[in-house]
Amino acid sequence: MIEFRHVSKDYGTVKALDDVSFTVEPGSVTGFLGPNGAGKSTALRILAGLARPSSGTATVLGRPYAEMACPGLRVGTLLDAGAGHPGRTGREVLTLGALTLGLPRARVGEVLGLVGLTERESRRRVGAYSLGMRQRLGIAHALLGRPEALVLDEPVNGLDPQGIHWMRHLLRDLAGAGCAVLLSSHLLHEVEQVADHIVVIGQGRVLAQGTAAELGRDGGLERTFLELTATTARTAPPK
Amino acid sequence: MTTRTHRPEDPRDAVAEHGTTTEDAPIPFRRLLRVETRKLADTRSGKIIAVLLVALVVASVAARATVAGPEPQRLIFTAGIALGTLLPVLGILTMTGEWTHRTALTTFVLEPRRHRVLAAKCVPPLVATVALSLLAMLVAVPVTAVAAGVRNVPATWEVDPAALLGWTGTNVLVTAMGLALGALLLNAPSAIVICLSAPMLWSAAARLGPAGAALAGWLDLGATSAPLMTGDPTWSDGARLAASATLWIVVPMAAGLVRVLRKEVT
Repeated sequence: MIEFRHVSKDYGTVKALDDVSFTVEPGSVTGFLGPNGAGKSTALRILAGLARPSSGTATVLGRPYAEMACPGLRVGTLLDAGAGHPGRTGREVLTLGALTLGLPRARVGEVLGLVGLTERESRRRVGAYSLGMRQRLGIAHALLGRPEALVLDEPVNGLDPQGIHWMRHLLRDLAGAGCAVLLSSHLLHEVEQVADHIVVIGQGRVLAQGTAAELGRDGGLERTFLELTATTARTAPPK
Repeated sequence: MTTRTHRPEDPRDAVAEHGTTTEDAPIPFRRLLRVETRKLADTRSGKIIAVLLVALVVASVAARATVAGPEPQRLIFTAGIALGTLLPVLGILTMTGEWTHRTALTTFVLEPRRHRVLAAKCVPPLVATVALSLLAMLVAVPVTAVAAGVRNVPATWEVDPAALLGWTGTNVLVTAMGLALGALLLNAPSAIVICLSAPMLWSAAARLGPAGAALAGWLDLGATSAPLMTGDPTWSDGARLAASATLWIVVPMAAGLVRVLRKEVT
């Protein structure tokens, strides 16, 4: 279970997050939807203990992330697939994670298999990876500790149609196994197809939340999304 | 963990059944140490620095022998010129790497107690510094023997253990300075510029009359650590060393620690 309770974050006079509250139940996928700059990444970083909220609390599995003894064994996170040392091989990135968490080396091969990266690809340096491969590597890293909750920031970015199809099934299967999955995206159609629950955010505020079916009424999710964010987005929301 | 058939291709195998995870003990420090040590040499740039350091130690000891004659202590101290320049860089890159490549995002997610990661980062470069100092001493032995044979002069085998220990200490201090400046600035280029230009600035300051000379005499870590190499530093030397080490190591490391603990990772 992932829970945001009245989370606000101020940067000087700018309110990056304004009283954000929502929960992600175990066994479900929640799509965190909003235009660029809406505060999605800020919220996820607060959840993962990388930034402090100005007020409110964000908890994973009932506790603030940073207070868990070894959070990597319970919560999988992918906060920016683009970040990473370009000189390390994909396999090395996963090996460092497995060593940190005290997992057997064999787990590296397992998660590589899960995300469909080949043995050969895993021995290439991350600097030579496409964004889609980095996303797969990031997911593999998030899955290392067999997490009960997954937090993914824009995991579909850069994936080809095949990759998007794969990701959809992976997330559904993970939720089917009891995982609480939270993924952010500005890609409406992807979220619509994978998420049970949708939270729409704009300018740091939760504009709407409900099941995909509820929000999809009256002409589909896209119209709802555009209407909700029309007044708050700085530019037209990207499709 | 419950019994589960091993099918890695099945994504459901990837997650724990809800509430079954029991491993919730903190990450032992030795594990962080192992990971941070590994990070030093698991990239091409890391390997290049390692090879460069070893090669420079060997080369400077051997090169000095061709002109200075078979005196091991002198040969060993020569290696300190290369180490004095490169070790701070090693310290700096160790501390700034996570921010340059934004790997802090994953590192601090796996270990939110950031001070433990910082502590683990400090150890490998300091151990490497002692190892490189020992390497210089080891290499100096055969090089001295060969130099004595080639020049057909008797080798001067007297070495002062206290001086060699002091010399190793100066190397440890410059590495620590690199670590501290790296932790404070979290940006390799600026920290490297400060480290490499400091000796020049101090030698300029020392020429600015008595006040400048006094300042340099107390705050230039290069100058204040030099008496360690005599093997017989005085109390006054110790006070100067403490003052400069506070300025270049203790203060920036403390400020850097506060900065890293508070910093928002993006």
